[in-house]
Amino acid sequence: MSTPSPTAIAWQRRRAAVGRVWQEFLSDRGGLFGLAALSLIVALAVFAPLLSDASGLDPTHATGRPLEAPSGHFLLGTDNLGRSVLLQVWWGARISLLVGVLATLVSVGIGTLVGVAAAHFGGWTSAVLMRFTDFFLVLPSLVLAIALSTVLNRGIFAIVLAVGVTSWPSTARLVRAQTLAVESRPYIERAWALGAGHVHVIIRHVLPAVAALVFANTTLTVANSIIAESTLSFLGLGDPNAASWGEMLNAALGSGAVTYGAWWYLLPPGLAIALVVLAFMLAGRALETVLNPRLRER
Amino acid sequence: MIGPVSTALAPDLAPPTTPGGRGGGTVRHLATKLGGAVVSLLMVIVLGFFLFRVLPGDPVKTITRGAPVGPQQLAALRHELGLDKPIAAQFVDYLAQLARGDLGESYQFRVPVSTLIGERIGPTVLLVGVATALAILVGLWLGTRAAWRRGSRFDRISTGVALLLWSAPTFWLGLVLLTVTGNLFPSQGLINPNTPAGFLPQTLDLLHHLTLPCLTLVAVLYAQYLLVMRSSLLEEMNADYLVTAKAKGLRDDLVRRRHAVPNAMLPTVTLIFLNLGLVVSGAVTVETVFSWPGLGLLTYQALQGPDLPLLQGLFVVLAGAVLVMNLIAELLYQVIDPRVRAT
Amino acid sequence: MGFRRLAAGLVATALALLGASTATGAGAPTAHAADQKVLRVAVTTTVASLNPFLASHAADTEFGRLMYEFLTADDQKDQHPIGGLADKWDVAKDNLTWTFHVRDGMTWSDRQPITSRDIAYTYNLMLTNPTAGTANGNFVKNFDTVTAPDEHTVVIKTKRPQATMLALDVPIVPEHVWSKVTDIGKYTNLQFPVVGSGPFVLTDYKQDQYATLKANPTFFRGRPAIDELQFIHYDNPDAAVQGLLKGDVDLVSRLTPAQFNALQGKPNIALNKAQGHRLNDLLINPGAQTNTHERIGDGNPALADVTLRQAIAQAIDAKTLVDKVYGGYAEVGSGYIPPVFSQYHWSPPADQERGFDLAAANRTLDAAGYPKGTDGIRVDKTGKPLTLRLLGDSGTATDQPSSQYVKSWLGQIGIGVDVQMVSSDKFSDAGVAGRYDLAFGSWGANPDPDAVLAVQTCANLPDAAGNGNSENFLCDPDYERLYAEQSAELDTAKRAEIVKQMQARLYELDTSVITAYPNQLEAYRSDHVTGFGLQPDPGGVITQQNGYWGYYYAKPAAAAEQSAGAGLGLLIGIAVAVVLVAGAALLVVRRRRVNADERE
Repeated sequence: MSTPSPTAIAWQRRRAAVGRVWQEFLSDRGGLFGLAALSLIVALAVFAPLLSDASGLDPTHATGRPLEAPSGHFLLGTDNLGRSVLLQVWWGARISLLVGVLATLVSVGIGTLVGVAAAHFGGWTSAVLMRFTDFFLVLPSLVLAIALSTVLNRGIFAIVLAVGVTSWPSTARLVRAQTLAVESRPYIERAWALGAGHVHVIIRHVLPAVAALVFANTTLTVANSIIAESTLSFLGLGDPNAASWGEMLNAALGSGAVTYGAWWYLLPPGLAIALVVLAFMLAGRALETVLNPRLRER
Repeated sequence: MIGPVSTALAPDLAPPTTPGGRGGGTVRHLATKLGGAVVSLLMVIVLGFFLFRVLPGDPVKTITRGAPVGPQQLAALRHELGLDKPIAAQFVDYLAQLARGDLGESYQFRVPVSTLIGERIGPTVLLVGVATALAILVGLWLGTRAAWRRGSRFDRISTGVALLLWSAPTFWLGLVLLTVTGNLFPSQGLINPNTPAGFLPQTLDLLHHLTLPCLTLVAVLYAQYLLVMRSSLLEEMNADYLVTAKAKGLRDDLVRRRHAVPNAMLPTVTLIFLNLGLVVSGAVTVETVFSWPGLGLLTYQALQGPDLPLLQGLFVVLAGAVLVMNLIAELLYQVIDPRVRAT
Repeated sequence: MGFRRLAAGLVATALALLGASTATGAGAPTAHAADQKVLRVAVTTTVASLNPFLASHAADTEFGRLMYEFLTADDQKDQHPIGGLADKWDVAKDNLTWTFHVRDGMTWSDRQPITSRDIAYTYNLMLTNPTAGTANGNFVKNFDTVTAPDEHTVVIKTKRPQATMLALDVPIVPEHVWSKVTDIGKYTNLQFPVVGSGPFVLTDYKQDQYATLKANPTFFRGRPAIDELQFIHYDNPDAAVQGLLKGDVDLVSRLTPAQFNALQGKPNIALNKAQGHRLNDLLINPGAQTNTHERIGDGNPALADVTLRQAIAQAIDAKTLVDKVYGGYAEVGSGYIPPVFSQYHWSPPADQERGFDLAAANRTLDAAGYPKGTDGIRVDKTGKPLTLRLLGDSGTATDQPSSQYVKSWLGQIGIGVDVQMVSSDKFSDAGVAGRYDLAFGSWGANPDPDAVLAVQTCANLPDAAGNGNSENFLCDPDYERLYAEQSAELDTAKRAEIVKQMQARLYELDTSVITAYPNQLEAYRSDHVTGFGLQPDPGGVITQQNGYWGYYYAKPAAAAEQSAGAGLGLLIGIAVAVVLVAGAALLVVRRRRVNADERE
């Protein structure tokens, strides 16, 4: 390590920065709670096939009676087909998180692309792209999402697209503002002077600099996407084959759980959504506070 | 985004960057914004037409659903509605109609779209208006206190509860409220047809019906006002003048009321207008759960079919509302924020 | 501490609210005035139009029946044609000229006499004005002339003999009102009270909120037992059931089996499991075509083979579907016309019945030249694996679970199934365009079988623009001949015989497998209302009848104490108002105090 290469120096600097952010993040109790809850939920979701028996999800193998109240055997009771609600909530986490994350990838992908392009190229490109973004911000997005998921074939990807395509504009604006700030810094000018091309500047300098904030914003988008998925499911536009929390709620409503007073079927999926969304929110807010100097001073 | 508040928790509240700001910048800036809004509206009008043509479903089939109609009748109806014309010709008709201020006639209800929207806008404005007003009151009040006692148990609990309520799906919250309140509140609609005529009983009955949908919306909405108020107040409290004021020995309460709160209100005011438009279209789920006869519900009905003229009309009106609200927010920022005014 | 004070205030208010509600006895029966007997019905479907010429949604036509009497009616007990506005009728030897005698002494709800001229006016309007034919034009399209030689006689001449002359579901409107209407298509028919001849008169209507109908004292069968009928709109079926439990409404229909089960044993709730008039089936696309016999769609060509279709039909266990998917709330499917119309219903005699037999289906397919491949999937005669798409409507609760069973059964006879659940609109698009191999279908039948039989005829095949009403693109010469015969057969018994032959023919063709006749599930407040006239009786429905008997015979339950639900509403409204005012006052007071502070 006698003569570290420039790349190595850059990486070292970044590692140090991440360490700093981490230290500050740890001091935010809400964020820490969110992160802990998220880690736990994600771990449970990922390892569900190892820790539980998926056959309990198949109605033909259901062991309980329909709408059984919680007991020692079924901690959260059973659904209308005699399946364990707890097991369904557990496995539902996989679908809900997957939909949330995929929709966010779509949304953040489009948002980052548009935002960086608008800020980087300026002029007409910027004007047109921002006009486009503002236009999308104005559209009644639920209407748009409902229309989109009606056109697309039923399935979680329809939901992913519908949510992703309607939620990117705010990311685009954020990224644009951040890119403008980054590009006005002297080191970018130096890079230009050294003959760097667009691709180089964007990939090596702009993207790493905006990545952190985009990431913080991402967590908020995941939260939104999960709520959006449940809303579309409630309106009957979900994928009945993908047992997300939203679909579970939809099934609970469709099966008369409200009339029956089966709170154990109605409450857990809703609470699960609220909890996961809250965890994403808290973690995202904390991260944003740490990363955004304007917010940090408060 | 979806849900009444989705964008709202990370709203873009930075003062607008004024392009070419010096001398008469405000007027020019507003003119630019107005021009942008007009362009957006034109794009909405075009998209409104083409987006819904892609929807599956045959309006003619939907209109005659269940009735024993033969192919000739279907063809006649298709002709009457102008659906047998090429898309381009339909588009020209649509533009010509809009230019005359005519939104066309709903396929399924057989009445002018403007009449339908006119009937439904009242309940939605009432619901969204009252809910927003209450959410603002509750949000600002809690936000102010949370900021003032930053890090206290009150701060943590009130912020936590607000975030939790914001995180819950709106329709679920509504259904839970509907179930747990038992017989206290009606399960649907705007007014009970048995209520005697007269202003007082009608108003009271309306309030009775309004309670649950309104509470649901408030529960979901107030978090953002709380958070924005809290953070902008925290920012204010670090400002020099406040430190000075405190140093002068002014009482906490007084400092808060006279100096910090009014300044911290600025971002909130714009947030209100930025949100109002979004909330209207986001009220779909609440209106569905409580059968509240507003625009959100009408939109959902229009999508089944699809009722093309009604969808187009609603799309233009909803998007138009957001545009207008954004313009108002912009204008307010110019008028009330001295910092922006100065530039 | 402001927060604590507010919390205390909220708790106090909540307690006050609870106290207020228990004090007035929440959930007690409701009526707005002690002497008014009101029946409140939850409506969960959209009411689109109350103009009887345009009204075609299920809820619309129900209003039409309540507001306007038809020429003839369907009996409450067994649904045979009985007198409506006409009390006697006659058909000439040519089987083309029908003479109806209009009942004496009837008046519209505005006391104007009802005469044969109103009837002739209504039919002629539909014949001359295409817009007026939107909803019911099909009933009169075979009419040549309609005349009213005197005020008690209507003479209808048809172009060809027509068996459905006593099943004209056309609301007859008053000429003295409608002749002033300039544009039928734009007329909303909401000039209250709406002049009519049915048991109830529409007196108020707020779209998607409620409709109020008052008993018609001039109704020729006599005034209904209740004074007022209210339809309360619900968008959310669960909220409607909550409304029933709370006592906000007295009658809820279209319940799901789950809701129906959940309501069992609830106090003061009576349930009605009624024979429905729908048939649900599994469509097997025999090769979609237009009315000029152009092939359309992308159905699997192998399904043109009737042997393959029969094997598929044999692999569908309708009994299991009814038990598992419908929760037992359906009758097991057999013939095309639902058993509720017992006169026309046919089910296969024992020697013709295939039954559910996977082994036999396998043998049939082995013999017919569909050998199994190594993966257990059969190949068709061109050597392609036999995998079929099954299209389901995700808006229909039974489609998704049914598809799982169909997939499993067909898998056992070596046919692969790819289930595709799509939105209702997409589903209907694919249906019209023939883009499916297998699909779930459903039709509502009427006491007169003509309409539902017609959807299997060549005449209803779609044209190039997709205007058609064919269920499954059937165009079979034998069936056509029988259809023509039955529509000209004026002797009911002979006609029923032909209709049964038609169903036997459909059973042979197997382009659709009838799976179930779902029950209509209804629930009502037994402490508020009783005496509904079921149609048919026993075992029939209260709502969505081919008539108005359900509401017409309804009367308040003996135990029903009239109390003021609106009164309770008012009370809570007052409480809410008080909370708001108190909140505002609190703000003002605080503001004052602050001002006072500042003046110090």
